[in-house]
Amino acid sequence: MPRVTFHRDGRAYHGEVAENTNLVVRAGIKQFPFPHLRYGCGMGKCGKCACRVLKGAELLSEPNWKEKKRLGPGLDEGYRLICQLWINHDVELEQDKIPSEPPSPAAA
Amino acid sequence: MPELMNHVEFRTALENAIKGKSANKAPFSIAWASGKLSRAHLGKWAENHYHYVGPFADYLAYIYARMPAQYVEAKDFLLSNMYEEEIGGDRHTDLLIRFAEACGTTRARVIDPDNMTATTRGLQSWCYSVAMREDPIVAVAALVVGLESQVPSIYRKQTPTLREKYKFSDEEVEFFDLHIVSDEIHGERGYQIVLEHANTVELQQRCLKICEIGAQMRLSYTTALYWDYVANDIPISEIENVEPKVQHAERQLLQA
Repeated sequence: MPRVTFHRDGRAYHGEVAENTNLVVRAGIKQFPFPHLRYGCGMGKCGKCACRVLKGAELLSEPNWKEKKRLGPGLDEGYRLICQLWINHDVELEQDKIPSEPPSPAAA
Repeated sequence: MPELMNHVEFRTALENAIKGKSANKAPFSIAWASGKLSRAHLGKWAENHYHYVGPFADYLAYIYARMPAQYVEAKDFLLSNMYEEEIGGDRHTDLLIRFAEACGTTRARVIDPDNMTATTRGLQSWCYSVAMREDPIVAVAALVVGLESQVPSIYRKQTPTLREKYKFSDEEVEFFDLHIVSDEIHGERGYQIVLEHANTVELQQRCLKICEIGAQMRLSYTTALYWDYVANDIPISEIENVEPKVQHAERQLLQA
């Protein structure tokens, strides 16, 4: 089972999840990483769930069109939209205290 | 005489009540998943589906109003489900209309109730009736566990096909993508509510029965789409070749 390490506000939380797990779905049903993971629309629009991937990024699927549109240059800094990811391998994530603003249309 | 089930037994019983007649087995769904439908067929689906899912927040609002005040978590879940359907991000029906327009139909045709089949009207009426009249926990079992929780498995099968075989763009099929996430949350929280609050033999049995009926209603709706819009273009024998697992007797029943 994939192991997830989640950093937020200087603290680390650890949990195991079933393969092919979406962490926003998990948080939505009040399981780890609830209540620590911040999320919003669940549809790749609001960006509230964005996290920087510290370890395991190479094993995640390629960013989809929503992530490219919402995160823009943030993708190069290692950010991903957690609502758009299905976890199949160990991963370490860090969520900023304040969600990032969407990129300007020119940058997107 | 049935006995009171624990949560594990009751969840399995609910899953079995739904599984037997999943809408994935409808000929329309099989034709969709195998890439046999035209964009015009899919447009007809959208024109009908709007009238089934469009009022979903309305259905939930009736349940919300009748849910006992002490079931705070259940009420909060219903409220957030309504919010997410309508104003949490893009309005879900707007995304459905975007897909419909990509199929060649129009917003005006989609929202016009004259363009739904009698079976779709029946499904919509059943949803309203359950929301207004059933015990609120039984209503959650019907609409959230019996219907909404089925959506991720259906769309997971259908969405890749929309991109790969029907050549829709990512934006055009966003309606399906978002439901894979949001309906998994809603379906699972629906299960949690029903497991917790259906705490008598009678309530558990009523939940099981209504899940079974809800799945039948959805299967009837999807099957009618095939017979009303597709059968003249794609004979049922062609569908049977694709999916021999579809039970013949089940289809005969629905053709009757």
